Amino acid sequence: MMYFNVFHRSGEGAHYEIYRRQQDLAHGLGLKTTNFLFYRDLLNDRALADAFADRKNHGSEIALSLHGINHGELAGISNGQISLWLLDRARKERVIATIVEKYREVVGEDPVAVANYHFDSSSLALLKEIAPSVETIIGGCFEEGVRVFHGCNHSWYLFNEGMPWNPWYPSKTHTLRPAENAEDAAGVVAVPHLMRDMSLAYEGRNDFWASHPPNVIRGMGNEATYCPYDLNLVDSFRMQEEWNGGTSYYNTFVSPSWLDWNHNSEYPPEVAWELYTKFLQYMASLKAEGKLIDMTLSEYGRWHRAHKPLGRPEVFLAKEILYGSGKHYFWYIDPKRRVLVDATQGGSIGDLRPYAGRVEVATGPDTAHRDIGSYPYLIHSQHRSGNAHHCYDGARTTLLVSDGRQTLDLCNFRTKVAAIETGDGDTTMILTPVELAFDSGLRATLTTGYRFLAAGGLWISRTISGLSDPAATLELTEYFKGAPGRTEYPEDLHGIRLIVDGESPAEKEFDYGGEWHVSKGARSVAALVPHTHTRVEWTLPGEAPTPVSAGFCAGHLFSPFFTLKLTHKLSGHGTLETCLNLTRYDS
Amino acid sequence: MRCPVCFSRDIDVLMIPTGNAFHYCPKCSFSGRESEVRGFYRDIQKKYHWMGRRVTLEEQRAL
Repeated sequence: MMYFNVFHRSGEGAHYEIYRRQQDLAHGLGLKTTNFLFYRDLLNDRALADAFADRKNHGSEIALSLHGINHGELAGISNGQISLWLLDRARKERVIATIVEKYREVVGEDPVAVANYHFDSSSLALLKEIAPSVETIIGGCFEEGVRVFHGCNHSWYLFNEGMPWNPWYPSKTHTLRPAENAEDAAGVVAVPHLMRDMSLAYEGRNDFWASHPPNVIRGMGNEATYCPYDLNLVDSFRMQEEWNGGTSYYNTFVSPSWLDWNHNSEYPPEVAWELYTKFLQYMASLKAEGKLIDMTLSEYGRWHRAHKPLGRPEVFLAKEILYGSGKHYFWYIDPKRRVLVDATQGGSIGDLRPYAGRVEVATGPDTAHRDIGSYPYLIHSQHRSGNAHHCYDGARTTLLVSDGRQTLDLCNFRTKVAAIETGDGDTTMILTPVELAFDSGLRATLTTGYRFLAAGGLWISRTISGLSDPAATLELTEYFKGAPGRTEYPEDLHGIRLIVDGESPAEKEFDYGGEWHVSKGARSVAALVPHTHTRVEWTLPGEAPTPVSAGFCAGHLFSPFFTLKLTHKLSGHGTLETCLNLTRYDS
Repeated sequence: MRCPVCFSRDIDVLMIPTGNAFHYCPKCSFSGRESEVRGFYRDIQKKYHWMGRRVTLEEQRAL
């Protein structure tokens, strides 16, 4: 079953009529909406009367938007800025208090559902303090950051990467991090601002490929009023029901300006209207078939609290559906980490957000983070190179397989996701096998499995079968190259400590020296990363045979990453498991 | 209209009409007539091999 929210917001002048037409369209199809009233709407008798009528006649919800704070007396507080998260804490508090007071006065109720493009932690804490009634929010745009900044001609300063793609319980200290427990939770359910293509939001701009038909026009993914992609994207989310308790979530939030002449579209408004209509008609048809339930935002929030326990892992199997590439990406999230496995690169980790570190981020001019609200990564293969490009590779994991004379890099082998198993506890994902062929004539089949423990820990299994020489011995090297980061540019890596055990144990401060330290017989290698408050450790379990070595490298200025390697041997057929663990580290 | 050269790099930049049927890009050195610009758009769309393909839920499961 898919749960669906239609979000609308008003416009000014002619755009107000477009907003009304949007409401009529949704209601005519039997779909409820949630109407986000801006501060200016709270001063507008017609906007209020229409919202009350929609609630009475169609069950649509009256909700509050904290965006557009450059109107009326708010402009004097915001200095004409439009977005709440860009203000210092004192001004955020004055703006929220002013809006909430007006909402209570004219709506006659406390606000329950509230929207913002990005809810930094201080904005959310202030909102809950001023209006404890708030239950559900639109909490941020999935992966809206570096790519959109570039795409909008380097003018869209909204850095909001590293969050859940589905509804979540935000933590108090970072709204984009899912809370570990009730004490850690900010007290609301959050939903993302639009649903994004889980392949293309990683590879490129998230704002083209979303649950927003005019945005797809912006990406040139349509041929006039023909755009099957809009419906394909819906079905890609419905497909996730198989691994996520039988339910999925979807929303849309198209503002009137996207249904008018728009500078980011080469088509007249009729095309956007037609595609928006077809999209909502499809959702209404799913409802008629009993496959979709439309809700208001606060109805969804209450359903979420009743059915989605705090801390439960979620997965997303993204099968790319626009280029027809055949690519698979596998996403996993729980309160300890968000992990993207790139099946096309042999199952390497392409994006790793170490939530276990509980990094605290509030934005605003009075904070160290200023405008960057993203949750920091340890690996981002798109922003930070990934597989070898010229003389060096970048952030990624991989497996290096050696027959003693030649080393093969698993990143160069395409796989797909073969199987996923989920439940209340652990999550497993198996990739399709890779056929390895060495110049020596030796051949082998390698199958990789990921096992995410609900308690933490990620076990990676490597199974060797089909050896052309059953007595052959292979060296398997688990490889982690990472760096803490928030954008595509390197951060100062001083302060990172690298540790290895074994016959020549060592601990080293990151010094940009580019030197490798390798210890024979080692079973553990780790990096302590103060930037993300994370200890990342790769270990070979005690019962596993034949550890060879482990090592670390503090990179240099032309390769600003730390690298961990863990090597073990496998003779003949068999399986070896290693554990990649992320834990909180206080420097 | 957006510059097709910048758009091929995933960047939205509005072109400026020169008044003689040409449009120029303020970010890069491209300029051209509208017909040429729209031709470039069609070239850009060629990479979306499945742009015109409805991939149903059952078909996606099989991918």
